[in-house]
Amino acid sequence: MDERELFGRYKQTHDPALLNEIVEKNLCIAAMIAKKFVGRGVEYDDLYQVASLALVKGVERFDETKGIRFSTFITPTIAGEIKNYFRDHSRLIHLPRRVTELRSRVRAAAEEMFAATGVDPTVSEIAQKVGASEEEVISAMEAGGVVSLDRPTEDSSGTLMDIVPDSDDAFDKIEREDVVQRALKELSKTERALVSYRYGMELSQTETAKRMNVSQMYVSRLERKILEKLRTSLKKNMAE
Amino acid sequence: MMKLMSLEFPLGKEVLTTVRLVTGGVCALVGLGLDEAEDCKVCVTESLLLLLGGGGKNAKVTFERGKKLSVLLEAEYSGEKSGAPVEEEISVALLRAFVEDLEIVREKEHARISFGFGAL
Repeated sequence: MDERELFGRYKQTHDPALLNEIVEKNLCIAAMIAKKFVGRGVEYDDLYQVASLALVKGVERFDETKGIRFSTFITPTIAGEIKNYFRDHSRLIHLPRRVTELRSRVRAAAEEMFAATGVDPTVSEIAQKVGASEEEVISAMEAGGVVSLDRPTEDSSGTLMDIVPDSDDAFDKIEREDVVQRALKELSKTERALVSYRYGMELSQTETAKRMNVSQMYVSRLERKILEKLRTSLKKNMAE
Repeated sequence: MMKLMSLEFPLGKEVLTTVRLVTGGVCALVGLGLDEAEDCKVCVTESLLLLLGGGGKNAKVTFERGKKLSVLLEAEYSGEKSGAPVEEEISVALLRAFVEDLEIVREKEHARISFGFGAL
């Protein structure tokens, strides 16, 4: 049975044996593509699994009547799934595309201006050239640099880890919690229950609505009202 | 368009890692992000595999900087095809999945693959 016939019969019957046959015949494509992505921080077995799942999903979406071969159709699908997997599992730090693009433009403009004048351009000159604010240029210049906490400090007196302040300052935490507690006390019992479901138990609005025996619309409206109330109360308490 | 670098080498599987490393370096030079650089490396490797499968012997890779990072891969053909059609088909499909402006020109004694990467 040729490829087109096989897909045609599977689409008509949805026979799992035919699905197995199609998948088994094409598993080599999943393996070939997975191999091309090895060495990027994800094990081959994981890549092969992602590629195989994409292959199975692709069988359902393939239209054999359109005249393209399954391998041509499935390759971008598998590559896309693998790329998504990388995006979710292999990188620690993601820069927004906008920042990455501005960073490249800033670097190119700085190089070009230096080449023309022999003098390093100022931030404001670069900003003018790339059409961004000075603040944006500075953030773009600072973005993207990943340094090790074990790197020695400039005066070599220790490592970066010794001088980076702890972001979780205990006093700040106590103060924040106190302000939040005070703000929560100003809420009614129902409002406190909603906060507990939504932000303590992290339930969806629909699940919260079920627990509170109300509609999702009511939860949405009440949540907006509570957030506004808390915002006002927190501003007042922080100012005190 | 500013020429950044070009490499000329006898085409063989053993040089692919070296070319990938150079590609990674060029991507860093023009400021491409990690993901884009990895994708670019996949495209360069696939193009070289296509040229190799088609019988390419001596290859040249040229990187240029313009609105994108432009990559041009050229090879002289020896006339002996070694790649399986399905592998070639997958390589082309993969390249098309990564880049929009892929151009593949195959002549009797010469082949050329070009594409652009990222927005610089």
